[in-house]
Amino acid sequence: MSIQWVEQVLQLTVQMGTVYLLASLGEIYAERSGVLNLGLEGMMIMGAATSFIFSIAYGHLPAIFIAAVVGALMGFILSILAVDMKLNQVIVGLALTLLGIGLSGFFTFPEIRKNILLKLNPSLPEEMLLTQQAEKLPEIPIPLFSNIPILGKMLFSHNVLVYFSLIFSILMWFILFKTRIGLTIRSVGENPSMADSLGVNVYMVRRATTIISGAFASLAGAYFFIGFHPFWREGVTAGRGFIALALVILATWSPLRAILGAYLFGGVETFQYRLQLFGLGAQSPYFLAMLPYIMTIITLIIISTESIKKKIGAPASLGIPYSREE
Amino acid sequence: MAKTSRIPYNIKIQKRLYYSRKLSILTTFSAIIIAFGVAGLFFTIIGLNPLEVYSYIGGVFASPTLLLESFKRAIPIGLAALGLSIAFKMNFWNIGAEGQMYMGMLASTGIVLLHVYYGLIPDYLVLSLMILAAFLTGGLWCCLPAFLKAKMKVNEILTTLMMNYVAMYLVDFLIYGPWRDPKGYGFPLSVPFPEYSKLTVMFGEFAYGGLLLLCLTAVIVFIILRYTKLGFELKIVGENIEIARYAGINLSKVVTVGGFIAGGIAGIGGLTIVSGIIGRLRPRASPGYGYTAIIVVLLSALNPWLIIPVSIFFGGLFVAGDILQATLRIPGAAVEMYQALIFLFIVIGEFMKRYKITITRGVVE
Repeated sequence: MSIQWVEQVLQLTVQMGTVYLLASLGEIYAERSGVLNLGLEGMMIMGAATSFIFSIAYGHLPAIFIAAVVGALMGFILSILAVDMKLNQVIVGLALTLLGIGLSGFFTFPEIRKNILLKLNPSLPEEMLLTQQAEKLPEIPIPLFSNIPILGKMLFSHNVLVYFSLIFSILMWFILFKTRIGLTIRSVGENPSMADSLGVNVYMVRRATTIISGAFASLAGAYFFIGFHPFWREGVTAGRGFIALALVILATWSPLRAILGAYLFGGVETFQYRLQLFGLGAQSPYFLAMLPYIMTIITLIIISTESIKKKIGAPASLGIPYSREE
Repeated sequence: MAKTSRIPYNIKIQKRLYYSRKLSILTTFSAIIIAFGVAGLFFTIIGLNPLEVYSYIGGVFASPTLLLESFKRAIPIGLAALGLSIAFKMNFWNIGAEGQMYMGMLASTGIVLLHVYYGLIPDYLVLSLMILAAFLTGGLWCCLPAFLKAKMKVNEILTTLMMNYVAMYLVDFLIYGPWRDPKGYGFPLSVPFPEYSKLTVMFGEFAYGGLLLLCLTAVIVFIILRYTKLGFELKIVGENIEIARYAGINLSKVVTVGGFIAGGIAGIGGLTIVSGIIGRLRPRASPGYGYTAIIVVLLSALNPWLIIPVSIFFGGLFVAGDILQATLRIPGAAVEMYQALIFLFIVIGEFMKRYKITITRGVVE
């Protein structure tokens, strides 16, 4: 194990973890305000699909932007169903996940892709119409810092979305716990009728956080596709949205702890592939793959203890629609 | 002109006190039609002829061979849905039917392998032991989250969802590792099941034996929910947990036992996949039947009788997906989109049934 190997593993860990980090950031806001967004996987895969198509048609930046808009739109649909119509959040979330997986599946077929791409940008050359892959986001090493051994590769040699995710997790932690806006969001998730009586527009807050969670989930999908693994196949995100959902719980609804959790999950996934290279048993990858889920179940059990629940402030009305008694 | 636009619209949402059965059926059907309409719009946008797609889907239910195939797919879906109907009755949001099915597959394959490799079990006992093992394993897989919910209020939506993946990877591990068929040229497949361990043993055709199994389970579920003490207690726990506590119902016992039965039935659903449809175990043997079952059970409003035709409809959609993929080169995911759209509009339809929306114009006094 040379130092290059360690550097490479750490770099991949952060790059893999960023997928989970981005998706969980928005979900943390939604869950803090009391909305369980189970449509995360669907929004993520739609983000990946949109970034795939639009990065071929228009390039990277528009692709990222449009992916975020598509996610926000799906978040908006979820907010109408779950917040305004007060439908069961589990059901509508799963429905959106299925919808996202179904819609994105159409992009697998070359003729369909060709139709769409020609409508978006008729001047595309023939080989771009049928390609299965997109151009990867360029890495932007930060000067000076990226030369630090180990840490430089781990933290300062990435594409722009990785930096974005780190800045945003700190920013979103600050907003959630140190500002009035954050207090409002948390109060809505904790005791919506109390918040309502204090003049907070519960529906508006929940709508906003759900839309944010959609945008971030879709951004995570876009990052996964054009920033990490730019080869399209059906079901490309492969349940990573559900891992992000698990991460939210492991991070106990804190954007800062989500960074650690995300890199932990990212590391587990990186090791899954690296260990095989050392011939450490054909069995190990399956048990490593189970690890995030088992860790989540254990976390769920630990945080359901009354005293710990109070300490970390798990949102008390998570998943419960709010209706004003009139 | 400017003046009239200043008069505000008032949207008022009121709970309906009553809705007729006719209206309810009408809402469900219009939901399905709207879903097809929206999907058709999407097909037109991406450059496909929606009528052509629909004629293929309709064709599935018109051709006897394809209908038989739909019956086959309907059996695991229907069994999982029957299990879910018990769980949902007590407000236990089991998203884990998929994982419970995988555990059922795992257990039944385990019994077959015990027989094939070690000859521990006589031929005539294999199938019944498989059913028992699938029921127990699936049941235990659901029992754990149920117990955790009952004792410690651990969120069952998340635990059951996570356990799906654990079960899936467990099957992957076994089938890529110790359970791989030594004569299978290295493919991740188990040994083919011997004839007497297949559900075809009953009538020569899996669809008939499977449908019989499905109907029998529906009867059992109906009896449990309607005529037993457990069913009565499940219903009270689901309707009002405070009343259940006040009535002296042993909450954790009811939830755990209910969860066990629910998971067990889903486990048998898993058995029908390996021993009916495929005839051996392979990784990712279920294309999401456990999630489809959630849609089926909600569409049938937890009614065990309705689950049978509804799961045949969804089984048909799966078959249609395969055919579309082969003929029109549309990805199989199209089926998932249909399911999701039907699901979404049905749920919205439920809202329309329960609430009346009136839009008036003018200033409210």
